[in-house]
Amino acid sequence: MSILIHNNTKVLVQGMTGKEGQKATKAMIDYHTSVVCGVTPKKGGQVIEDKPIFNSVAEAKEQFPEVNVSAIYVPPFAAKDAILEAIENDIPLINAIVERIPIKDTAYCLAAAKEKNIRIIGPSSLGLICPGIGRIGVVGGPLVNEIFQPGSIGIISRSGGMTNELSWQVRKTGLGQSTAVHVGGDLLMGTTYADLLEMFEKDEQTKAVVIFGEHGGSYEFEIVELIKNKKYTKSLAIYIGGKFANLFPEGMNIGHAGAIVERGQGAKEKEEALRSVGVIIADNYEELAQLIKPFS
Amino acid sequence: MNLYEFEGKKLLEKHGIKTPRSVLIRRNDDVELIYNEFGQVDVVLKVQILSGKRGKNNGIKFCSSAEEVKKTCEELFNSQIREQIVVAILLTEKIEIAEENYLSITYDTNLRQPVLIYSVQGGMDIEEVSEEKIEKHKLQIKDSKLESDIPFANELWNCFLDEDCRVVEINPLVKTKNGEWLALDAKISLDDDAFFRHTEWAEFEPRTMLGRLPTDREVQVRKIDEGETYYRGTAGKYIELDGDVAVLFSGGGASIANMDALIKAGLKPANYTEYSGNPPRERVYQLTKIVLSKPDLKGLWIVGGVANFTDIGETFGGIVDALNELKPSYPIVVRRAGPNEDEGKRLMEECAKKNNLKMKYFGKEISMGETAQALAVMIN
Repeated sequence: MSILIHNNTKVLVQGMTGKEGQKATKAMIDYHTSVVCGVTPKKGGQVIEDKPIFNSVAEAKEQFPEVNVSAIYVPPFAAKDAILEAIENDIPLINAIVERIPIKDTAYCLAAAKEKNIRIIGPSSLGLICPGIGRIGVVGGPLVNEIFQPGSIGIISRSGGMTNELSWQVRKTGLGQSTAVHVGGDLLMGTTYADLLEMFEKDEQTKAVVIFGEHGGSYEFEIVELIKNKKYTKSLAIYIGGKFANLFPEGMNIGHAGAIVERGQGAKEKEEALRSVGVIIADNYEELAQLIKPFS
Repeated sequence: MNLYEFEGKKLLEKHGIKTPRSVLIRRNDDVELIYNEFGQVDVVLKVQILSGKRGKNNGIKFCSSAEEVKKTCEELFNSQIREQIVVAILLTEKIEIAEENYLSITYDTNLRQPVLIYSVQGGMDIEEVSEEKIEKHKLQIKDSKLESDIPFANELWNCFLDEDCRVVEINPLVKTKNGEWLALDAKISLDDDAFFRHTEWAEFEPRTMLGRLPTDREVQVRKIDEGETYYRGTAGKYIELDGDVAVLFSGGGASIANMDALIKAGLKPANYTEYSGNPPRERVYQLTKIVLSKPDLKGLWIVGGVANFTDIGETFGGIVDALNELKPSYPIVVRRAGPNEDEGKRLMEECAKKNNLKMKYFGKEISMGETAQALAVMIN
């Protein structure tokens, strides 16, 4: 098994006629993922990679009611409308690759998705891959078969490049991946570490998980709660990057608002809290694969 | 982008939040004339820096005469407050304070929605105020109207939304002895990603988050990406640092891990630079030239992970164009893999051979962090 992508995954690409949308469509099809159609306003009737283009998500769903994933490849200024359109049309899983979406738009989309129990992965997410089953987005690129093979390790990364690099490190130690997810590096994440760990917990194929985290935000504390509540019981190793940030002056954060919201949640507190519930902390990202190997 | 107090107050005023009467003093202004025209005896001088805690760091002064104001301005302009250059001084009327409160709105990452924070114990030591004395209210992003009794909360919410802010903070929010509410300070951080719908932001003066003016190289690098509004890639992230090892990182996450690895290997970064996505050869060339223009470099580390979609041939083409011109004599270590990696490697090795560069080239067989060690060995 795997999480998020299955044999009945049917993908719609919003923005399929653009350069990046076309590339992603091809990357998904090349990895045997079922992409059924695309949407670009005013370009209905065109055909990309043998897939029909519609003017709206509603039109697309009329023809292809089986669509259950939308991958969003539009410019940042159009992202909010595109995501809301997918939400209004009840597409249960949305992968937003778009980078540099204004945080206000992201917050709005996340609120709208929550009302309808719709999952957004991203924004700024290159996508996700279940080796041997399919991929949404371009994770793995053309080297996908050198890097990914079905296996027991779940992979979560804040960085797109590191999703691949970390998956490669895992492969190099002789292991494979169950699902690798790029959650995106934005301050507000549609799907967090904890959301994915809950899914990995239920997935029989996954024996352990590795995470490439980044300095900033407080999402690691959700992991601590999850483990305390026994909602995640498998092994977990994490690397949190950005220790060098102390090279920069404190002035980089202005105001106290952040400090009050995240009171007592610095890098040190994060690592201590994670350790206290049995999470393995890596000093370098390279160590993650070796540290998790005994639990695979 | 973080705003100076005087810029933040303008935005607050725009949304109906009152601030004390004030005038901005720049270097070389006729301070005595400004003071006399202001027409009030007791005034406050506040340094304009992108940092808080000015009161505790001699950045706020009270004066009562033209001579005193002139002398104090000179001193302030000649000092650094919290390691930051003083770009301007805000001269404001002195307020008779009855109450000091705290008010802010920001995004809570756990809740994934905005929160309003209010305390009746505002002022200098807000971070030490106990949890019970701080009210937190979740705000619904879909509700453009807020109906709160907290002074200026509704106005601040409008400001937060309309101006695309990441943080808005008023500390202190004061009640004067006349019973009037005033924002005595403003800390606002704008969301750079919303630039496309705020053309007025282009008018803000240049600044860095490092407490100093941007260096020439930083200004030059910023120009590389000008006009680039789409997500396809960026060549323009450059922060100048004190060390002597130049770096060209690819990918945000890898850059963070590699910066940690470089420091762990005992090397000192000359810069923090990252290109991401698929920037064209020409832009990577420009970026490389600027990165390598820093004097007294001892090494160059070109490193990235196994790319998903960055064209290694194209991006390395840009680096090679710059290396062919500059022919640096210091050690260079490269580690990269991904689409078109064979072409990237060929270009790089050919360039090294032609120019007699001290270069070691690695692919994905070795991890990124290990190649930091390799560079350290070559340099030492």
